[in-house]
Amino acid sequence: MKPTVNRFNIQAGFYLLVIFLVVLFFFPIVWIFLTSIKTTGDIYAWPPVYISNNPTLQNYKVVLLESNLGRFILNSIFVSSLSTLSVVFFGAFASYGIARVNFKGSNIVLVFFLSMSMFPQLAIVPSLFLWFRRLGLINNYLGLVIAYTGLFLPIAVWIMSTYFRTIPRDIEESAKIDGCTGIRILWHIIVPLSIPGLVTAGLIVFIFTWNEFFIVLVLISKNLLRTATVGIALYPGEYAFPWELITTATFLAILPLLFLTFIFQKQMISGLTAGAIK
Amino acid sequence: MVMKKTSLKYFQGIALILPAFLFVFFILFLPTVNTVIMSFTNYSFIKGESTQFIGFSNYLYILKDDEFLSSLGNTFLFAFVTVFFELIVGILLALIINRSFALRGVLRTVILFPWILPTALNAVVWRWLYNTDFGFFNNLLFSLNIISQKINWLGAIPLSMISMMLVAIWKTSSFMALIILTGLQTIPESLYEAARIDGANPIQCFRKITLPLLVPSILVALLFRSMDAFRAFELPFALTQGGPAGSTQTLSLFGYRQFFQFLKFDTGATVSVIQFILIFIFGLIYLNIFRVERE
Repeated sequence: MKPTVNRFNIQAGFYLLVIFLVVLFFFPIVWIFLTSIKTTGDIYAWPPVYISNNPTLQNYKVVLLESNLGRFILNSIFVSSLSTLSVVFFGAFASYGIARVNFKGSNIVLVFFLSMSMFPQLAIVPSLFLWFRRLGLINNYLGLVIAYTGLFLPIAVWIMSTYFRTIPRDIEESAKIDGCTGIRILWHIIVPLSIPGLVTAGLIVFIFTWNEFFIVLVLISKNLLRTATVGIALYPGEYAFPWELITTATFLAILPLLFLTFIFQKQMISGLTAGAIK
Repeated sequence: MVMKKTSLKYFQGIALILPAFLFVFFILFLPTVNTVIMSFTNYSFIKGESTQFIGFSNYLYILKDDEFLSSLGNTFLFAFVTVFFELIVGILLALIINRSFALRGVLRTVILFPWILPTALNAVVWRWLYNTDFGFFNNLLFSLNIISQKINWLGAIPLSMISMMLVAIWKTSSFMALIILTGLQTIPESLYEAARIDGANPIQCFRKITLPLLVPSILVALLFRSMDAFRAFELPFALTQGGPAGSTQTLSLFGYRQFFQFLKFDTGATVSVIQFILIFIFGLIYLNIFRVERE
């Protein structure tokens, strides 16, 4: 009897620990959501209202239709999508080159790319600011997309070239024998086979650009053009601090990321730890 | 014929890689080189005088600046404490996730969320939790009569630094956990079976088998995390603005202010270079330990 009771206790303790950890990690996000569906009165009420009795979508309506906050999220969607396309496009060519064409420098190029991604942003951003200012690329999404393409190409190339190397070369050889060449091999044979690698790289780049803060802060000074991270973090004026709107906008801005994490968990883990594990 | 084919391939390789190389070269490499050069000049954004090389003057100036030195201290403290606790929590999480149990998938997804969300918005989320008058923590503690006066989580020294560290640990422990988990999964089960037959208890197993075999993954995780923590910018920017009285100001935030608040690009560049060198030294130290470990 005794060992069973003991084991039961250990098991119960283990599950309590797990539940504690789940709450610990998830609670701040839940709390933002719970605040976003409260009325302004409930948010500032005493005694505190933890879960609203009369939940409302009023804050969402205001954020999306009457404030700049909805605009910030649209800006993020636009910039992140364009940057992801740009990085995956240039990255796929480079990765294919590194993985397939036998020339001496290909590994050196890969190491160069990776070591570049370790450079601290504090050293990069000021010079970019000075140059982009002269080129008229401040407050310009073209500038932002160019900067992001450079910034996130290394991680994308790392993920994609690792993936390309897992595709057997025989496939290309037989395609060559059938009269297929160069770019057509890449487009008709390699790309369809590498969809998983491209998706992983694309996801990671999308998330990184969505989360990026420093470069938007410096290259975009017009409030209306800001993306969600900077727009929301700098939202209030000096005095008023409308928490009901800020929590709502924050929840809307992180919602796509929560969905992506939920659906693509495996790709995300492999992509995000890629630089560290290999 | 064969020769021709190879040279074509070589050409193709360069053509494929060149566009990406140019992006990385012009967006990451050259700006950094330019910033290094800037740190040896008296370039200023506002004054129109001609820019001159002034050797190490900026370095001598900044190394005597109290605000710089305190930011440097804050950064070391922040990096050391957060990485240490992230390692502890990360090992714990990895050990738990490595077992199979009912809620495993839920736990694994949930610990990913804080890490995937933007640091700047995490800071906003926690600023709301920490809010003195209406924040969750004070509301809860106050209504349970645990505290009689509301705590100023982000506005008191040294509490603000501790509050900021908590956010960082909450956010990044899962990264540690995932790296360590991949290390855990390479340890063969047969080692544990053999140890159990020899009568080893779970704690002995952990100390004699798990921990030594985890050292390489732990080092990799430590390297990435400490380099990241050393660059911390968005968290202090969006959580405390470096306050109160500069007590949470990191090196990156100090450097940013030199550049974009005071428009002193020369001293800002100097801060960048010093940060760069320190991160580089970090990397070298870890690589050395790593090499010794392997031998």
